[in-house]
Amino acid sequence: MGDTELELSPSQEEELQKSPSASSTSTTSSLSLPSSPSSGPRPLTSSSPSTSEGLSTSSPPLDVISEGVGELSLVIDTEVAKKACQEVLQKVKFLKGEGQTALVTAEPGLVNGTGHAGASDVDCRRSRTSSKIGREEAPPDTGKSARRRQNNNSSKQSWLLRLFESKLFDISMAISYLYNSKEPGVQAYIGNRLFSFRYEEVDFYLPQLLNMYIHMDEDVGDAIKPYVVHRCRQSINFSLQCAWLLGAYSSDMHISTQRHSRGTKLRKVILSDELKPAGQRARREALQPPPPPCHHGQGPAEHSLSPSKRTHQRSKSDATVTISLSSNLKRTASNPKVESSQDEPVRLTPQREFIKSLMGIGKRLATLPTKEQKTQRLISELSLLNHKLPARVWLPTAAFDHHVVRVPHTQAVVLNSKDKAPYLIYVEVLECENFETSSVPVRIPETRIRSTRSVENLPDCGITPEQRASSFSTVPNYDNDDEAWSVDDIGELQVELPEIHTNSCDNISQFSVDSITSQESKEPIFIAAGDIRRRLSEQLAHTPTTFKKDPEDPSAVALKEPWQEKVRRIREASPYGHLPNWRLLSVIVKCGDDLRQELLAFQVLKQLQSIWEQERVPLWIKPYKILVISSDSGMIEPVVNAVSIHQVKKQSQLSLLDYFLQEHGNYTTEAFLTAQRNFVQSCAGYCLICYLLQVKDRHNGNILLDSEGHIIHIDFGFILSSSPRNLGFETSAFKLTNEFVDVMGGQDGDMFNYYKMLMLQGLIAARKHMEKVIQIVEIMQQGSQLPCFHGSSTIRNLKERFHMSLTEEQLQVLVEQMVDGSMRSITTKLYDGFQYLTNGIM
Amino acid sequence: MSGCDAMAQEKKAGLLRRTSSSKKPLKEKVVLMYDEIFTKDDPAKSNPRFWDELFLMKVNLEYLEGKLECLDGDEVMVMKNNLNSLFHHCVLALEEEHQIKVVNALQTLCALFRGVHQKNKSATGFDIINMLVGFDKAELRMKDLMESLDSLLCGDGSESLKSLCLKLLLCLVTVTDNISQNTLLEYVMINSIFEAILQIVSDASSRGQHGYDAVVLLALLVNYRKYESVNPYIVKLSIVDDEPTLDGLGMVVHQALTEYNRQYKDKEEENHAGFFSTLSSMVGNMFIADTEEKLSVQTNEAILLALYEAVHLNRNFITVLAQSHPEIDLAATPAPPTPTTPVSPLGTTPPSLDVMHNPELPLDPNLQTSNLLITFLKYSSIVMQDTKDEHRLNSARLCLIILTCIVEDQYADAFLHDDNMNFRVNLHRMPMRHRKKAADKSIPSRPLVCAVLDLMVEFIVTHMMKEFPMDLYMRCVQIIHKLICYQKKCRIRVHYTWRELWSALINLLKFLLSNETTLLAKHNIFQLALQVVSLFNMFITYGDTFLPTPSSYDELYYEIVRMHQVFDNLYCMVLRVSTNVGQWKEPASKVTYALVNVRAIINHFNPKIESYAAVNHISQLSEDQVLEVVRSNYDTLTLKLQDGLDQFERYSEQPKETAFFKELVRSISVNVRKNVSLNTLSQDVLLKEFSSIS
Repeated sequence: MGDTELELSPSQEEELQKSPSASSTSTTSSLSLPSSPSSGPRPLTSSSPSTSEGLSTSSPPLDVISEGVGELSLVIDTEVAKKACQEVLQKVKFLKGEGQTALVTAEPGLVNGTGHAGASDVDCRRSRTSSKIGREEAPPDTGKSARRRQNNNSSKQSWLLRLFESKLFDISMAISYLYNSKEPGVQAYIGNRLFSFRYEEVDFYLPQLLNMYIHMDEDVGDAIKPYVVHRCRQSINFSLQCAWLLGAYSSDMHISTQRHSRGTKLRKVILSDELKPAGQRARREALQPPPPPCHHGQGPAEHSLSPSKRTHQRSKSDATVTISLSSNLKRTASNPKVESSQDEPVRLTPQREFIKSLMGIGKRLATLPTKEQKTQRLISELSLLNHKLPARVWLPTAAFDHHVVRVPHTQAVVLNSKDKAPYLIYVEVLECENFETSSVPVRIPETRIRSTRSVENLPDCGITPEQRASSFSTVPNYDNDDEAWSVDDIGELQVELPEIHTNSCDNISQFSVDSITSQESKEPIFIAAGDIRRRLSEQLAHTPTTFKKDPEDPSAVALKEPWQEKVRRIREASPYGHLPNWRLLSVIVKCGDDLRQELLAFQVLKQLQSIWEQERVPLWIKPYKILVISSDSGMIEPVVNAVSIHQVKKQSQLSLLDYFLQEHGNYTTEAFLTAQRNFVQSCAGYCLICYLLQVKDRHNGNILLDSEGHIIHIDFGFILSSSPRNLGFETSAFKLTNEFVDVMGGQDGDMFNYYKMLMLQGLIAARKHMEKVIQIVEIMQQGSQLPCFHGSSTIRNLKERFHMSLTEEQLQVLVEQMVDGSMRSITTKLYDGFQYLTNGIM
Repeated sequence: MSGCDAMAQEKKAGLLRRTSSSKKPLKEKVVLMYDEIFTKDDPAKSNPRFWDELFLMKVNLEYLEGKLECLDGDEVMVMKNNLNSLFHHCVLALEEEHQIKVVNALQTLCALFRGVHQKNKSATGFDIINMLVGFDKAELRMKDLMESLDSLLCGDGSESLKSLCLKLLLCLVTVTDNISQNTLLEYVMINSIFEAILQIVSDASSRGQHGYDAVVLLALLVNYRKYESVNPYIVKLSIVDDEPTLDGLGMVVHQALTEYNRQYKDKEEENHAGFFSTLSSMVGNMFIADTEEKLSVQTNEAILLALYEAVHLNRNFITVLAQSHPEIDLAATPAPPTPTTPVSPLGTTPPSLDVMHNPELPLDPNLQTSNLLITFLKYSSIVMQDTKDEHRLNSARLCLIILTCIVEDQYADAFLHDDNMNFRVNLHRMPMRHRKKAADKSIPSRPLVCAVLDLMVEFIVTHMMKEFPMDLYMRCVQIIHKLICYQKKCRIRVHYTWRELWSALINLLKFLLSNETTLLAKHNIFQLALQVVSLFNMFITYGDTFLPTPSSYDELYYEIVRMHQVFDNLYCMVLRVSTNVGQWKEPASKVTYALVNVRAIINHFNPKIESYAAVNHISQLSEDQVLEVVRSNYDTLTLKLQDGLDQFERYSEQPKETAFFKELVRSISVNVRKNVSLNTLSQDVLLKEFSSIS
């Protein structure tokens, strides 16, 4: 297989280079299937000797070959991919060696490896026009003209090649070249090169890759597709991520183009679950040799391979691959001998249904008027959902493989939102090696928690061993005894609970608990009423500060509870809690909200975080994971141990500084100082973020405070070019209230200077790697209607905020100015007042 | 097949012609055939197709039953073979493809069971079996019968047919007043139809149509020789752990109770409505409303028994109590049949799509999410309002027993006290002269335990009457005690207005005191008084572990001091009784001992308060002033810790409650028998349906 791949890949590339127009038409036509049989002028085929089979338009063997190609790309693994990359490189070298004339697109920036965007932009445009001309002038000869162009390129490409082969060439550069280079050869090379990066690295840029696939020209798409298809085959999770992102980023297209867009089509292919692991298919193929070609006319494949398609199959677009694959599968499926039904229909279904039902709950909640009703409804809906768990479903925001086993439904809360109904759920999962292959945990009934006693001491009452065995079959050692109910519960409780409380209670109290259970002492025990009263007030005072229940703000209490505490509590109450691989996750389900901007912000934050880490600037930010499911739904990984400053102030009725003192201790304590430092580092980080990304709508409901003193900005609904209403509010660079400054120890304190110093260092570091940040935003601007890209100057303005031209001294002045301006800014205060009036946010 | 069908049609047509043309003197053909059976000769001798024909004809239940009733002992022995044969052919006919035959066979069986029993009220079960089935064949025949019924119930056949099967079973189960004397049920025990019942209950569509009958049947079967032998239905019910099934069971109960609550509410509103509307609706609904009410009262005990058995026997069922079903409150009509996937072990299969796909649950913004427990509490609040007649009293007792079982369950306690599960529970309150009807809307959303406590307090304050329901009071106070034990152990501080409970309990003591002589004639009031005083001791000595605020502890003292006269009087009374010789000596002295702390509090604070008043020249201290005195004088007060305050006797059905349940099951049996009337069995609808099928 690998060998054939090596033979075919270059030719594939060659053709791509030879005839971009041909490949484009064939892609579309093969994707659109029977609906556009007229597309694709046939003469093109004649120019290519390597695909001479294509001449016989209706000959059956052709189909087989096209399928063969499909299968080959099915089994791409990294090794093969590497070889393919080398192959391409050799080919480029070979072209260069032929010593033909050079170049259309010289890219000076490429040589030194930093890729000057402006220049390459111009070049790209030129290259595009030239190819256009080529197409218009000599359609039958596109191959040759392309080759000429290619060869012209060679001297510059040698540099490029050295870069590409160097260790410095990372995924960020790959994405950058994929986006900026208009050279199909380069794009195709990078498309192959993607296989050599680690999955996590590429995954970070998945939104960019897919957005390019959707909105950029065919060459880029064709370069990206093999990689995407390959990964989809490997992973259900990746498949779904792709499908969701493709859907979301296609949504800005006009409805008519959207339907036929490549993104929509790829999405359909993925969701139809045709991209199955190659291994399975190979096995099946081995079982049954490919059916003779004559079958074709009769099989379901007939549709997908209409005569017009065959003329273009030389482009070997992946669309054809998947289509033939699907027909192939159908054909095998229709043959009972090879049909292995169990892995067929359910690869993606459970997870999709799980997500769908979560979204459905959100939609229904939105129709209820009060928070209380929403909460009750949420709880009851989730308890029904519980009946279907455990299942092969997982939370895509988690960092490890797992199966969801239970949703502790009473813990779920509805979050504060005016008309939507976002909600937060906690999810009990069991960690596993691989959620696709590990077996799904067996269900344990809710009441199982009570019956953890040993089985031996249960009365044997009227049940034969067979009966017991049968009742145990689903849950091992579950004591299903019919009499067990009468001996458990409270008795068990009496034994267990004092133990639990030994740690938490003081001795006197413990004494009072024990005294009644121990009957030994016949001496009357006297206690002072004063002690009881004192214990009562002490215990109430000693419990960690919890928030009061407020039906209008149900999430405050839930979020205030320390995460570890919550985990322990839920674990204790869970029938699965005893399992060593039990974990608790949480997720916010958003329905009716577009999370694409959030995702963009997450990427930028993540990028800046790693830049600052790399440059050793101790700025602290907390990017939280975003899962875009569609253009109006998604999930967010909640920040644990954090409540909004609004909730802090409303519940504690204290100033922020006083709250810090209350939570962490006095000014001089270690705990307070640590919390203060955390506050400063996070403040500086987020001030820079707010400035660079122009994050707006900064009121106290959108800023969280965690238990360690960090602030965390959430809700990136207004960034870059968008801001809430045009009231002219929030003109300052970022939000820096007097309260914040007070926590930092005032304007003259050391910590405040430290804060400004951190900002400066952070800005310098960010500036050094500006390209990495810009790139993320710029690619996502393609084809996007998101408000953050409103206007034409979004990217330019973003770049300007990095102040490439300023010296470090000038930057320092700038930071000072921004801090001063923000502090003095009356608009921040005004905006808080405005939020308080309109939304009741303090 | 089709030939056979055609023949049947032909026969039927001929038959109809004959009956329509024949006048009075002529008997129905079927009656003639019955007469043939009631002879000593084998009717098949003269007509080999006798049995075939019999089941093609519409059953005349009255005649058949009447005939059976008329038989005397000797006659029975003569025609025993024919009766056995009839039974045998009934069982055979159940296997017929021809649905009309199945229907007729089912109805005939029903008539046989009823007729034989009505005649032979005094006869032993074995005689009846012999007469009906024949001893030698009984085991085999009954096995066949049960198997046929089982497959009819589980099959894809007509719903009416299933309904008829259930009616037959209900008929069989209730032929005797005392279910345990129904020896025929021995065969129902051996040949269990438990699985069939569960299947009906777990499937949404069949649940809607037959759930009620199935659940009542189950409740009755569980009570067959409950205390004497191993009843497989008890064993099986106790180990069910399939959630959809348990949920289905809960939903049937939920629906029945909801329906009752709704009817009650409608009636109540009707009473509140204007004179004219009342009048007109009275005229219009005089009969309907009347029968409806009776019906609901009768049937609800059966469903309540089912709830009891489920809660009592099945530990997994407890989760169902808290299960919310937003859709159930919407309509009294059964939920639209939604296709549910067959029960399969979860985890091995992907989540089945019916819930995932949840066809948009109907939405009503005004709808309060409810669950079985809330519905049950509301129902209890209605039933407990009026305990004057025996029926209602038993219903209230059963409600309290169920609540007892619930509060003894740790899982149930956990969700009762779950701070995240807040509900507004509108309990029904008896209209009373001295209190205003609280506005419904003002009820805050609280953990469910508050609703339970409210219900208990409500009961305590509304039942201090001459016909003192001592037993219910005991259960009521014990329920409170168990809840407090749980709170103490788990250190759960419920934000409840405990003061209401305290004053209710003190008033109860006051009532006991003022009616001492009349009450003592019937009840051991010291037992109840001891329970109440123990509750106070719980608050006094363990208040630190479960009271919500320090000031609530102060309030407890305030309340005791304020009502000190009641405690003083109680002490005098129990002291007096305990110093006399008599049956109450010991229980009274227990109360004396239990009162130690309360008396210590009173003796400690009263002088302090008096002196405070004297020093400050105030004749009447305000509440705040008293609280101030209380707060500043704790330290000089010493209390005595009493043993076993947080221990209680667990509920157990045997032996204490057996008599109650036997009586209850008897009354349910009688009611069910009445309701499974001949009319429902011989509905023409049925026949119409089946004559058009086949």
